[in-house]
Amino acid sequence: MAEKIVEKKDFSGKTVKVLDETYEPGIPDAKDNWRMKIGSRDSNMMFLKTSQRYWYSDDWYGSEKRK
Amino acid sequence: MSEDKVKSVDKATLLMLEKARKDGVSTIFDRADDMKPCPIGAVGSCCKHCSMGPCRVPMPKKEGAEQKVGLCGATPATIAARNFVRMIAAGSAAHSDHSRDVVEVFLSAAKGEIPGYQIKDEHKLIGMAMDYGIDVEGKEIKDIAIELGEKCQLEFGKQEGKLLGLNKAPDKRKEIWEKEGVWPRGIDREVVEVMHRTHMGVDQDYKTLIIQGTKAALADGWSGSMMSTDLQDIMFDVPSPVYSEINLGVIKKEMVNIIVNGHEPLISEMIVVASQDPEIVEYAKSKGAEGVQVSGMCCTGNEILLRHGVPLAGNFLQQELSIVTGAVDAMVVDVQCIMQSLQSVSKCYHTKLITVSPKGNIPEAEKFEFDEHDALNSAKNIVKAAIDNFPNRKSEVLIPEVKSGLVAGFSHETIDYLLGGMFRASYKPLNDNIINGRIRGIAGVVGCNNVRTTHDDQHLKLIKELIKNDVIVLTTGCSAAACGKAGLLTPEAAKEFAGPGLAEVCETVGIPPVLHMGACVDNSRILIAATAVVKEGGLGDDISDLPAAGAAPEWMSEKAIAIGQYFVASGVYTVFGTAFPTLGSKEFTDYLFNGIEEQFGGKWDFVEDPVEMAKKMIEHIDKKRKELGIDKARERVLFDMEKRRELA
Repeated sequence: MAEKIVEKKDFSGKTVKVLDETYEPGIPDAKDNWRMKIGSRDSNMMFLKTSQRYWYSDDWYGSEKRK
Repeated sequence: MSEDKVKSVDKATLLMLEKARKDGVSTIFDRADDMKPCPIGAVGSCCKHCSMGPCRVPMPKKEGAEQKVGLCGATPATIAARNFVRMIAAGSAAHSDHSRDVVEVFLSAAKGEIPGYQIKDEHKLIGMAMDYGIDVEGKEIKDIAIELGEKCQLEFGKQEGKLLGLNKAPDKRKEIWEKEGVWPRGIDREVVEVMHRTHMGVDQDYKTLIIQGTKAALADGWSGSMMSTDLQDIMFDVPSPVYSEINLGVIKKEMVNIIVNGHEPLISEMIVVASQDPEIVEYAKSKGAEGVQVSGMCCTGNEILLRHGVPLAGNFLQQELSIVTGAVDAMVVDVQCIMQSLQSVSKCYHTKLITVSPKGNIPEAEKFEFDEHDALNSAKNIVKAAIDNFPNRKSEVLIPEVKSGLVAGFSHETIDYLLGGMFRASYKPLNDNIINGRIRGIAGVVGCNNVRTTHDDQHLKLIKELIKNDVIVLTTGCSAAACGKAGLLTPEAAKEFAGPGLAEVCETVGIPPVLHMGACVDNSRILIAATAVVKEGGLGDDISDLPAAGAAPEWMSEKAIAIGQYFVASGVYTVFGTAFPTLGSKEFTDYLFNGIEEQFGGKWDFVEDPVEMAKKMIEHIDKKRKELGIDKARERVLFDMEKRRELA
C-alpha cells in the first residue's frame, strides 16, 4: 500500500507533513486472532509473566510491588 | 406509528411493532400498556415471605405519620433489604448455575468424553490453572485441565475457606473484603444462606442482611461469572476483534433462519458449527433455501458474536419481534431472559420454538434433549428441524432493512494486547492517557432492556454523553447491542461521537470509543480490566481510587442487582435507571446510596434521566481525578544536569 502524506499543524501551529493512515481500506473477512502469536508453552509462560504480569510475575506487578 | 415513537428509538423495532399490530400479535410492549407495575412491590415494600401476608408497608403519605410494619413487626427497612438480597441471591444463582454447567462440560471435555468440545486456548488454561493454585510445571495439558475442572467444581460446594477467584483483585480490595468479613466461602453456601436469613423471622437487620447479600454477589462476580467467562474462553477462544452486523436486518429471507436466544454458549457453539456443515447446507438447498443463517439474540448471541462474528439479531426486547418477521424458522432458547410469550408469538407464524436446556422449559415448545457426548449430531438435528420448517412459512415475510456494522471482541486480554502488542502488552497507555487527561475516566455501562422505558434510549443517551465527555465506555449484554445498532461500536464512531481526547486515543489505537466486552457473565472481564488498571500503577491502589463509574440504565433482571452489588462491593459508584427496588425504605436506601461507601468505597445511586445520570458519573470521575491529583495539568519542568544530579 502506497504511503499517504498529509499536512497537519504541529504544537506551535507550524504546518508539517506527516504520514497518514496506513491500514488497508475495507472490512476484514476474518477475525484477528492474535492469540495464535503466543506460540509454544514456554513462550506462553513468558507471555504470562510479562504481558499478564499483573497476576503472574514474581518480581514486578506495578504499583502494588513498588510499595 | 406516533404512539410507537416512545416505545423504542430503534427503527427496526418500530417497524416490527407495526407489523405485529397488523398481524394481531400481542407483544411485551402491548402488555406493558395494559398492566402497570404494582407501586408497592416496585419499591420493595411488599413482604410475601409467609402466609400471614403479603404485608404491604408503603411509606406514610404525610410526614410524621406512623410508619406501617408487617404483621410480624418487620420494618420497611428489613422488608426492602430482604427483597433486595433475595434478588442478589437469584441473580448470583443464575450466573453461577450457568457456570456449573460450563464446568461440567469443561471437565468432560478435558477427560475426552465429549469429542465436540475441546481445549482451544491452552495459554489461558495455564494462566487460569495458576490462578487456582495448580502447579503446571511439566504437566500435560489434559492433566492440568482435569485438575482445574475438579478445582472449579469444588468452588460451588465449598463449606469453609475462601473462594479462589477473588485472589485476582487488587491487594487493597482484598484487605477491605477481609476487614468487612465478606469474602465468600462457597458459591452455593452464600446463596443458600441468603435464602435462610430472609426466611420469616431470621435476620431482621438490614446491615447484616446486606453483608450476606454481598457475599453472594462477590461469589457471582469474582467466582461464578468469572469461571464461566474463563472456561468458555478456554473451550471456545478468547474473544478478539471481529467485524459483524446487528439488528433484525441480519435475518435473510432466502435462508433458513435460526435464532439462538438466551445466555449459554455451550449448545449455540455447536449449532454454529452444524449450520456450516456441507451436508446440512445441501439439505437446506434441497428444501428450497439458499443455506442456513444463524443469528444471535440477547447474550447467547453476544457469546457467538464475540468469538465467531455471528450476527446479532437484537437485544432482549426484540426477541418476539424477530419472529414477527415471519422468516424465523426456528428459535432455539437455552436459559435466562427468555419470554414465555415466544410460544404464543410463534404460533401466529410458522416458527418452531425449541428449548434445549433441561432447566429452561416452556409448555408447548418443542424440547430437544441435547447430548453433549454427541454434540455435533444433536446440533445437526436441531438445525435439520429448522430446515424442515422452512417450507412451512405461511405469513407475509417482512424483514426490516435495518442493520449496522460493529466491531466486538474486546476481552481484557485483547485490550492489553491492543495497547502494547505482543512485545509489551500493557495497560500503561490507557493509564497514561487517563493521567494526562485525554481520557477523563472509564465507565462500565451494562445491563438489560426494560419495557417500562423507551427501548435502547437510556443506554444511548447515557453513553453518547459519556464519550462526548472523553469517558471511554466498556459495555456488555443488551447495552452493547443497543450501542451496536446505533453505530457506536465502530472505530469511526470516535470521530463522530467522542470528545477530542478520547477520539485521539481511539484513532491512535484503532478502537471504538465503546468496547463490546461480551455477555452479562462477562462483566467479570470489566472487573479484571479495572484490576489491571490499578495494578499497572499511577491511578491509586484500589478500584475505588479509579476515575471510574458503572451504570445499568435499563436494568430489569435480578442478575443486574447481583452485578450492581458486586461492583459496589468492588469499589465502584454504580447508578441504575428506570426503577430502584428499595425506594420504599428511606433508611435502607440511604444506606445503599451513602453509608455503604464507608465500608466498600463504592455505592449505589438511582437516576431516571440518562443525561443527568451521565452528569453524576462524570462528577464522580472528576472527584476521583481530584483525589488522585490529576485534575489539573501540571507545569512541565525541564531538568538540567545539575537538577538531575540533585535527584540522585
